[in-house]
Amino acid sequence: MEGKRTRFQSESQPQSVILLTKIKEFTRALLADLTNGRSPLILIDRFRSYCTLSNSNCFCASDLPCGKELLTLRRKSHAHRLAVMLRVMLIVQKLLQENKHSSKRDIYYTYPSVFLDQSVVDQAINDICILMQCSRHNLNVVSAGNGLIMGWIRFSEGERIFDCISSPNTAHPVPVHVEEVQDIISLAQYILVVEKESVFQRLANDQFCNANHCIVITGRGYPDIPTRRFLRLLVENLCLPAYCLVDCDPYGFDILTTYRFGSMQMAYDTKHLRVPEIQWLGAFPSDSERYFVPNQCLLPLTAEDKRKVEAMLLRCYLEREVPQWRLELQLILQRGVKFEIEALSVHALSFLSESYIPSKIEGKLIM
Amino acid sequence: MADIQSKQEASSSTTFVSNSIFVCKRISYLLVFASARSQKFQCNVRILDYGSVKPIHTLMGLAIGSYHGPTDLSFSSAQKLCLHLISSAYQRCRLSEQICRLAVILTRSSSSHPSLKISISDTGIGSCLEEFQDLRFSSTDVADNWDGVLSLKTTGIGDTEIHNFQINLKGSGSSRITRLTPNTKNGAKFSGSEVCMYSFVSLDLLLADIHTFLQKNVAIQLVAEDCDVPESRYEKVFLTNECKKLPMSASNLELLKSGIEDYVLKHGNNLSNKCNSCFPSWEQRKVGSGEACCTDNRLHIELVMEAAIVISNISMQNTTCFREYGNKTEVLYFKDFSPCTISQSSVKALQSIDWKTYGLNLGGIVEQDDVTLLEWENFPTDTHIDIVLHSYHKQYPTTIPAPRKMSPLVRNLVKKAVKLSLDDLKANHPQAFLSSRAVEIRSYAPDLAKTIAGLILSSSDLDFQGECFSLLGLQSQEVGTEIVENCIEERIVSVIEMNDKKSYNSQEPAPFLFEEDPVEELEFQENDSSPLDF
Repeated sequence: MEGKRTRFQSESQPQSVILLTKIKEFTRALLADLTNGRSPLILIDRFRSYCTLSNSNCFCASDLPCGKELLTLRRKSHAHRLAVMLRVMLIVQKLLQENKHSSKRDIYYTYPSVFLDQSVVDQAINDICILMQCSRHNLNVVSAGNGLIMGWIRFSEGERIFDCISSPNTAHPVPVHVEEVQDIISLAQYILVVEKESVFQRLANDQFCNANHCIVITGRGYPDIPTRRFLRLLVENLCLPAYCLVDCDPYGFDILTTYRFGSMQMAYDTKHLRVPEIQWLGAFPSDSERYFVPNQCLLPLTAEDKRKVEAMLLRCYLEREVPQWRLELQLILQRGVKFEIEALSVHALSFLSESYIPSKIEGKLIM
Repeated sequence: MADIQSKQEASSSTTFVSNSIFVCKRISYLLVFASARSQKFQCNVRILDYGSVKPIHTLMGLAIGSYHGPTDLSFSSAQKLCLHLISSAYQRCRLSEQICRLAVILTRSSSSHPSLKISISDTGIGSCLEEFQDLRFSSTDVADNWDGVLSLKTTGIGDTEIHNFQINLKGSGSSRITRLTPNTKNGAKFSGSEVCMYSFVSLDLLLADIHTFLQKNVAIQLVAEDCDVPESRYEKVFLTNECKKLPMSASNLELLKSGIEDYVLKHGNNLSNKCNSCFPSWEQRKVGSGEACCTDNRLHIELVMEAAIVISNISMQNTTCFREYGNKTEVLYFKDFSPCTISQSSVKALQSIDWKTYGLNLGGIVEQDDVTLLEWENFPTDTHIDIVLHSYHKQYPTTIPAPRKMSPLVRNLVKKAVKLSLDDLKANHPQAFLSSRAVEIRSYAPDLAKTIAGLILSSSDLDFQGECFSLLGLQSQEVGTEIVENCIEERIVSVIEMNDKKSYNSQEPAPFLFEEDPVEELEFQENDSSPLDF
């Protein structure tokens, strides 16, 4: 009962039919084991987006599984995990047969006493995706998009049309059913991804997109799956450069790496969720000198900040893919200070829109 | 003596005649009893009154009890020596592997000779003198009730004569044993022994001691009568297991198992019959047994440790029967077929057993009324456990090496025998003896079964449903949700029990095929960043 990730699907059948067939095969195999007196053994591939092995040729970049996990009826934790996974699978079966959608939170509240915690449901959904070799949206499990988009783009999601071009500084929600996005038309020259909604609103208020023909997206912190999927869709379809603007602190850096390399939690689906083309526009620790950020705006790193930076420095993809990012991260640690993007507005309210971002792009001060 | 002589000359009997029949008009007291093992032994009870004999035959079971016998061979009273001699006679019967008889006769002949004659005779293998060499009489009280002299008649199956000895337990060295003139057997083939002693002990006191000794024995008939006093006949019968006749070839362990079972059914042999209130059904009792052997050439011993464990489920409706020790487990201990106090090394062995492997949680071991009791934690109120341990030497006579050398040996044997008993129980009743871990896993069986049934029954593919019913052995026509769920749950429980049996016999398969544990990294990632709320 091993889930193999063989990526050729029959295009003649809809994805839901394929998945329903896989659920039946899984159930039948499980039942055959039980009726033949064999202890079920469920193998689940394990994936990761990075490792912390130093000076070794790891395979993290290959998207291949790094190991297998065996679920048996010999451990209580395994029995519990299997019980949760089967319950989620039953719900997924109904969603697919009835062509309905559900959020992770909806699933949690069907059996809160069994699931105990939403992270348990999350793990179960991930396990099912790995076993069925699919993505979350294929299971009709969706989450409300948290991201925002504005700028020189027009597209449709099902019957709904998103005409951002007609008012390029008006925010629109990132579509949830990214697989239904069609008819993408864009007059933009680049895509700007910003970490925080406050920066997004600052740019909108400054009418940033009037003077700069671009698309601006924010994930509002750590980006959710629809935001990451949508960003990947835009980059692939529009072939535009993508820049990322985050705070100069460990959390901003982590969000940057999530966009570029994917997250550990969703490592099994990382090829659909990462944007390897994205570049770091700022803020660098060196920007505080280049753009004269006052000392009182430079905040000292906390102990937790330092631990997080030290942990991130060990990630294999920094040395392998973006050694310059790693140098900047070390600089943050050496200086012992961090600052927010808004600190750059100390000189003028519209400094970001009128000076910082344009000069960075024109001057190629990007990593 | 003359009677024995004359019977041998006439060749009228092939059975060793142990009774000395006194020719006198009145026999004041007569006590006859015997202990025996199942059908291998028969008890002949004789009521002698002016020469008339009324034989009574009773089948006997294995002796089990909690008499606290001596741990060495020194005796402070004739009564205790008497009990020891009975145990020795029993062993000689056991070793002969033939149907044997063991008889004890207490006779007070006349008022002119107030001493009581105590005669212990058996038709087992003949005695050897080593058995009596180690006997000691530790009392120096001038008022003691015995002169320290034993008369021994014994013969082996291959001997041509009956040997006569007089043994002075108060003597030492060469004066201890005196050989008397033997009696010829004239070619007859038989074996047996008789030990006689004269004592001024009270018949009532000795009768009480013997009664206590036999209180928890199985299959004993005890009769006493004073012919001078009408209506004075005393009789008490301990019957063997009435519902389970063991074959002639039953092993010691099977006899032990049957004995403890009978003991439990009769509430510690306080009843004459099985208690029907507590045990309305035979299915509520589970018995396991195990045996461990050890041969130590340096110590010249071959020691056997037997263990039997009874798990009873008492009927919940019954609240009238008194449970002497509540839910605690009484540990009965036997040594060389005699009840005695459990040894400290055995207690330590019981403490060191991994009871949790069998779903049991030992709370502690306590001594109460000179009885060893095991206390349990998280124990169901309708369940009771009884344990019996029995150690014996295979060779005869029994020689006892230094106790210090024996302790580790005994401890290992007890542990092994008890573990084998528990494994025996677990093999036959796996659902009752799942390890604590397996019980936890089994608690998921109903939910797993319900969900799997849901995946089958809620599928819109009827062919798929048909396949699954076929796998489960169900006909499509009779399908109901509950039937499917129960069928799957049985399969899951069966697999969990199978895993539990295997888990201590072989290594559990490694949960990860690679050395690195990716879950740790996943946890690291989750702990290091703020929770993602998609």
